[in-house]
Amino acid sequence: MPTLMLLCSAVWPCAAAPEAGAAVAVDADWILQKLARPAPVRTAFVELRGSAMLKAPLRIEGEYQRPDQDTLVRAVRSPYVETTTLRNGEATIVRAGKAPRKFALSRVPELAGLQASFGALLSGDRALLEKHYRLTPQGTHQQWTLVLAPLDAQMKSSVRDITLYGRGAELRCIETRPLKGDLQRTLLAGAANEAGKAGSGKASSADALAGLCRAGVAR
Amino acid sequence: MLSARSRIALALLWLAVLALAAWAITQRLQLSGDLRKFMPAAETPAQKLLIDELGEGPGSRLLLMSISGADAPTIAAQSQALRSALAARPEFALVANGGDASLDAIPKRLRPYRYLLSDTFDARPLDEALLREELDARVQDLGSPAASLIEPLLSADPTLETLKLAERWQPANAPQRLHEVWFDRAGDKALLVAQTRAAGFDPTGQQAAVDAIHSDFAKIAAGTRSELVLTGPGAFSVEIGGRTAAEAQWIGMVDTLGLILLLGIAYRSWKMPILGALPLATAGLAGLGAVALLFDGVHGITVAFGFTLIGVVQDYPIHLFSHQRPGMSPWTNARSLWPTLATGVASTCIAYVTFLFSGVDGLKQLAVFTIVGLGAAAISTRFVLPALIDPAPRDFADSRVLAKMWRGIARLPRPKGSLAMLALVALGIVAFAPGPFWQNDLSKLTPVPADALAQDAVLRDELGAPDVRYVLTLEGKTEDQALQASERLRPALDRLVATRALTGYDLASRYLPSAQVQRARQQALPARDRLQAMLGTVLEDSPFNADAFDPFVADIEAAKRAPALFQADLQGTPLAASVAGLLLPGSDHVTALVSLSGLQDPAAVAKVAAANGARLLDLKEASESLVAAYRGRVLAALAIAALLLTATVWIALRQPRRVLRVLLPMALTTLLILAVLRGLGIELNLFHLVALILAAGLGLDYALFFDHAGDDRADQLRTLHALIVCSLMTLLVFSLLAWSSIPVLRAIGSTVAIGVFANFVLALLVSRQPVQEASDVVA
Repeated sequence: MPTLMLLCSAVWPCAAAPEAGAAVAVDADWILQKLARPAPVRTAFVELRGSAMLKAPLRIEGEYQRPDQDTLVRAVRSPYVETTTLRNGEATIVRAGKAPRKFALSRVPELAGLQASFGALLSGDRALLEKHYRLTPQGTHQQWTLVLAPLDAQMKSSVRDITLYGRGAELRCIETRPLKGDLQRTLLAGAANEAGKAGSGKASSADALAGLCRAGVAR
Repeated sequence: MLSARSRIALALLWLAVLALAAWAITQRLQLSGDLRKFMPAAETPAQKLLIDELGEGPGSRLLLMSISGADAPTIAAQSQALRSALAARPEFALVANGGDASLDAIPKRLRPYRYLLSDTFDARPLDEALLREELDARVQDLGSPAASLIEPLLSADPTLETLKLAERWQPANAPQRLHEVWFDRAGDKALLVAQTRAAGFDPTGQQAAVDAIHSDFAKIAAGTRSELVLTGPGAFSVEIGGRTAAEAQWIGMVDTLGLILLLGIAYRSWKMPILGALPLATAGLAGLGAVALLFDGVHGITVAFGFTLIGVVQDYPIHLFSHQRPGMSPWTNARSLWPTLATGVASTCIAYVTFLFSGVDGLKQLAVFTIVGLGAAAISTRFVLPALIDPAPRDFADSRVLAKMWRGIARLPRPKGSLAMLALVALGIVAFAPGPFWQNDLSKLTPVPADALAQDAVLRDELGAPDVRYVLTLEGKTEDQALQASERLRPALDRLVATRALTGYDLASRYLPSAQVQRARQQALPARDRLQAMLGTVLEDSPFNADAFDPFVADIEAAKRAPALFQADLQGTPLAASVAGLLLPGSDHVTALVSLSGLQDPAAVAKVAAANGARLLDLKEASESLVAAYRGRVLAALAIAALLLTATVWIALRQPRRVLRVLLPMALTTLLILAVLRGLGIELNLFHLVALILAAGLGLDYALFFDHAGDDRADQLRTLHALIVCSLMTLLVFSLLAWSSIPVLRAIGSTVAIGVFANFVLALLVSRQPVQEASDVVA
């Protein structure tokens, strides 16, 4: 679930205005600079979780919150209520009527690597980020992608790459391609709102969400 | 008479033979640290458990560790790294740090057994409602950040029994977990515990384990500020062993220098220290060789005690050297000293024969070692050493200094009544000095530094490590009966925890339920058809695919059909070590142990145990009673030995006056040593006892040689020279030991040092015969 940590940097007030400007080719510095935001911030998300065991991918809606610099909260509202707090290298999961459960982020290698780059993303520290990933920016200021390919051997064994999709200063979507299993997709900010408006009917099928994520335009 | 050159060649040949013998013996020698071999047969149930089955308390193989000094995630990562490094080593049966509550703990072939080992369905059977609840929770798991952890398990184990068991198999009363590993309550130390394969009393094995921990940690912590604290019985014994070795080495070096200096001054020859050491080396090697040949393994204590006891042979060559004079062949010299030397050796050896009948393996070894050692030293002094001695340039009877000293001594009054008074006072002190006479607590011999003890107490408390002194036992005719008895005891134990008599306990049935319980769980599991029907209904309106849980159905069916799991089936799994420490198969019964932690109220626990068919054993009491029994055997053997020794001396000397003169200093010295030690409030231990025997042996030799000198002035002077050298040498060695910080060395050192002094003075005053008037005129 590497997406989660990246969100630490991605969470900001909804509906940030697209950058007005010419179709200039994007570079990593520009993206990182735009992404860096101080806490506290919150944003809606829509996530699809696919599994061979499931009839259809699980569609999870909720809100990411960054109440302070070091904490990320993932509050699920639908289809159930659950709060996950990432702090201090540990995840705490709280469900209605159950005792909280804890596990170390280090147990999930992709999270461990991202945890290290956490600070780098927040502060826009490209050098630090490049210790853990090879960065490949593409596109224009209006519509860009940033591909993060892990360098760490342990992380490489589970994650192929992570792609950030954005429009201007808005990070709209994060796609994680694991080595095994289905691609995991998280829609954020504007994209999440559009997906929410589309409802959870047929319009929000995996294909529709993929379209929202990549094109950044609701169809 | 050999030439000087061939004398040196012969000495070198002797050395070569010794070196060869040393090599051959080390090939054969199996040094054992097993205290049990040195102890008499166990009689009480606690002793039997300690000696025959347990060998030690359940906590004595545990090494406790903490890592601190860096931020929590760093030390947590180091804790994980250390755990996996140590787990890969053969020295450890088990390494736990709170991490690894994962699937690796359960081998695949045993995975269906989770439904027989887990108590989840005892309270609530596996039915449709429970399945529905569990599957709803699993949907949330799949949507949670922990999804990648749980997804691989899900299809075979939708109720996550695997995780529940792995969590349950964490040691009872485990500390809090931060970043997946154990941390202390304050959250700044990561905690680990390792169980060594080597027994707690095996110093070599413990040393290897401690070294492994330090070297692995050094690699892991390189470049960080993390620090490791390592405690536990094994770590302590290693530390004390190291300190003892270091001190013994330091003392040994000073001794060697002192001895070379002393012998150099006494004989003005560089050869004497070497020649003087040959009989001692011969004695040690002959003794070791004999024990290695006659016994399976040589006990470490045999070697330590044995080398103490044969220290007396260091005196043999000195007598030969001091009696050497111009014009006298060394062979004649040796022949004339031989009756005296032989009397001393024979009577001591006959005394040690009593140890052979003590019924204690360790004492038999000690007897063989000492008898063979003393014999070899005496024979080599008599039949080989004379060939190596250079012709004497002078007669020690001509020494002016000695003559002056001797005149002073001759003027001293012969004590008679004063000796009786001295004996009476000493006896009074021995009898009436306050405080216990004997020290039975073996651990007092190897005291742990206070700060290390404090660290250990902290770690033990944080880790909830089992008590090293008390353990509960249950017996059953079969493994299953013992497990059933454990299961019946659990409610009572839980009540004890609730009333805070204990903070926790651990027992085998926590890992391995009795076959009875396993069968009951099997019967409660749904049959394949029923389970499939239940799943069908639940899955119909769930996000999961209809065939998502086929492996689960197969596992339940396998569990329902499987034969009950027994201890032997756990072979090769991480569970084996946990169960093996708590379930001990005997020849005609099985003993189940309950290890206790945070024991506050032993009396209450003992009462509850007794009411439930269990027994609270006090291992400290058991080991102390064994030490007392052992000492009883030694004392009985010594009493008979004293009679035999008197008889031997009587036969050799034949005159009651001479016998009295020879035996009195030795007897009186023994009494004086006891009085001094008791007067200083020192509790006596086995090492004091052994040292007393050595002191008595020295005293016997001193007295015999003074007696041997007869009324001849020159011979008395030579004897005086020899005995001054002997006693100074012994005094030097043992008074250095007496200053040691190690109680064992101190016990031996102080006893022998006092003994040498008293024996020398008393032999001089009592055993020396009045010189004929005529010789005074010659002087």
